[in-house]
Amino acid sequence: MATQRMREALRDAMAEEMRRDEAVLVIGEDVGVFEGAFKVTEGLLEEFGERRVRDTPISENTIVGAGVGAAMGGLRPVVELMTVNFSLLALDQIVNHAAAIPYMFNGAARMPLTIRMPGGGGHQLGPTHSHSFEALYLQVPGLLVACPSTPADGKALLKAAIRNDNPVIFIEHESLYGARGEVADGDAEDGDGLLRFGEAAVRREGSDVTIVGILKMAHVAADAARALANEHGVEAEVIDPRTLRPLDLDTIVASVRKTNRAVIVEEGWPHGGVGANLATLITEQAFDHLDAPVQRVTGADVPMPYSRRLEQAAIPHEEHVVQAALAALEGSL
Amino acid sequence: MGRPPMADVVMPRLSDSMEEGTVLQWLKKVGEEVAVGDELVEIETDKANMAYESDVEGTLTEILVDEGETVAIGTPIAKVGDAEGSGTSAAGPVAAGDPPPPTAPPAGEAHESAENGHRVKASPLARRMAKEQKLDLSQLQGSGPAGRIVKADVESASSAGDAVGGVPHSGGDREAGSEHMGEPTAAGPAAEGPSETAKGKTSYEDLSKTQQLIARRMSESKATAPHFYLRASVDMSRAVAGRRLLKEAAGEGDAVPSFNDMVVKACALALREHPRANGAYRDGRFELYSRVNVGVAVAAEDALIVPTLFDADRKGLRQIATESRALAQRVREGQITPPELSGATFTVSNLGMYGIDGFSAVINPPQAAILAVGAIEQRPVVREGEVTSAHLMQVDLACDHRILYGAPAAEFLARIKALLEEPLSLAL
Repeated sequence: MATQRMREALRDAMAEEMRRDEAVLVIGEDVGVFEGAFKVTEGLLEEFGERRVRDTPISENTIVGAGVGAAMGGLRPVVELMTVNFSLLALDQIVNHAAAIPYMFNGAARMPLTIRMPGGGGHQLGPTHSHSFEALYLQVPGLLVACPSTPADGKALLKAAIRNDNPVIFIEHESLYGARGEVADGDAEDGDGLLRFGEAAVRREGSDVTIVGILKMAHVAADAARALANEHGVEAEVIDPRTLRPLDLDTIVASVRKTNRAVIVEEGWPHGGVGANLATLITEQAFDHLDAPVQRVTGADVPMPYSRRLEQAAIPHEEHVVQAALAALEGSL
Repeated sequence: MGRPPMADVVMPRLSDSMEEGTVLQWLKKVGEEVAVGDELVEIETDKANMAYESDVEGTLTEILVDEGETVAIGTPIAKVGDAEGSGTSAAGPVAAGDPPPPTAPPAGEAHESAENGHRVKASPLARRMAKEQKLDLSQLQGSGPAGRIVKADVESASSAGDAVGGVPHSGGDREAGSEHMGEPTAAGPAAEGPSETAKGKTSYEDLSKTQQLIARRMSESKATAPHFYLRASVDMSRAVAGRRLLKEAAGEGDAVPSFNDMVVKACALALREHPRANGAYRDGRFELYSRVNVGVAVAAEDALIVPTLFDADRKGLRQIATESRALAQRVREGQITPPELSGATFTVSNLGMYGIDGFSAVINPPQAAILAVGAIEQRPVVREGEVTSAHLMQVDLACDHRILYGAPAAEFLARIKALLEEPLSLAL
């Protein structure tokens, strides 16, 4: 084990898969000479050359379209889009083609395509660069959705995504690229170092309330759990789903059956969000175990502001999660 | 996410140390219009009684906490209806439910009619547990939001039932019993009937908010602040002579500074020179304050209240005299307000008027020290080999050793002594 930053872990995942399988290639804006807008593809051009690390013009729908074609033709492309916001330009290729083609041709065409895209706020980049569209991609059947919060998960999930024959939307959080964590070394053979999609991580065990958080909010949820324990004597169970589709609902429902209360934290918008969806699933599957309505903590229902204070006010923080957990526990403390 | 049509008025935090408040009197009736700034309710805090002004407007639709009841801060005490319907959308992070569908009646109305139909509000889990334990939900008191019966209510009803032989039992009786906490019958052993012990008959008194606060803070102080004590004998002869002159010179109605005012002023000047004494040990850090605010302990009816003389180092003796009299008067009349009782960085406690020679005081947390002042007595002293008499006053400084150590504390107390023994320096 070694300590790595998220961006290094993701780079190693791609490099290891490229060494292992000649069919893996990286396509995107500034992924080659510039080594990625967030330096995630550092060193890849030097090691693998221009044929496998391809800089493209600024044309997202075309980039993803090239990836779709390459995947149908037997390659395993990793497409980098500079932000989640820009992926909207490629929605036609992502939703109408990548997600649908395996169904349209009854599986005759496979789609081993990975589309990486960073999102999330906190850097004063305003509404055109800072959004969280996990829920948008979660809505589309045919797409797998990964949202890692730690370097270890980032590496293991990206390797698994590249080896998966389905199109994967791989969402990274801009604030987590510098986050450090223990990561398994070396080139994984025979599925070693891969993480199965649909396996949630229980980051902290607790008996009073279940807190589910994704991406950066997985960390906010963990911080809130510590505050709940230290300041309120509340033991929260913290779950990071790691992938939204497939979703490890079993782990979440088992936890809610134990704690009787749930709080879901996400940075995205409230309406039709990850939390709205998960709250419904929990209500459907654990109705008789709920002692309070499922609480959601979400980003504000506004386009992301530029102003630092407004932006911070639009993003959930530890105290919001603590409040939501205490609200779920009202009458029980 | 629309704002709900009803706004909850919650028990406000009216002082730093307030944890709960008692509703003394509702100043508006149900159905009355309330404007922002209107006095809505009179609340007794741990320190004072205050009229609370509404920060919402609308119609007072429901009073949730009756007069005389005590609830924790943040607890809803009334509902004020929004005549305009929904307000602006919330711009902060949302931790809320879905907005009602556009065609549905307003949530509040639907809610009320369901309640009128005697639907019992209980969480799904509480319903399942009650069914399994054959408990009648309608007999339970809900402690969740808006009286919802939650798991904890079923569990406590269930254990109450076990206690009387497994018969399902309404929690209502127990609740009623707890309202008479002051009576000995509420306690376990008292169930055997009132008995006389070697101490004779026992009567019980409930503590007022202030008495509860004193009990809690004094225990906290002695339990957490390592106290040590320094004693000095101050020669007040010049102060006594000086005060006689001031008294003669004073015009009609002028406040003549008392000896305690001189002590306050001397402490304030010394505090300015000794920052650690004008600070606090809190959460593993020293807090050092830029203002010197001296609290003066005043005995009130059945309580001890410490009003604050703000910026005492920058005020003249006469101003200190005038202000301290006014504050003491307000304490005795029960008119003192929380702002006048907060913000002290040091405390002076004087029992000299009772003829006490000296005493050790309990620090008023989180302050660094407290000065206990005894009576001024004429006593024999030896000066230049001759026995003569002097007006002596004993002062005892109690210090929190986490911030104020022995030698600096000694310098601080020596400075107070020097200032009082040369009282002209107090007038500069």
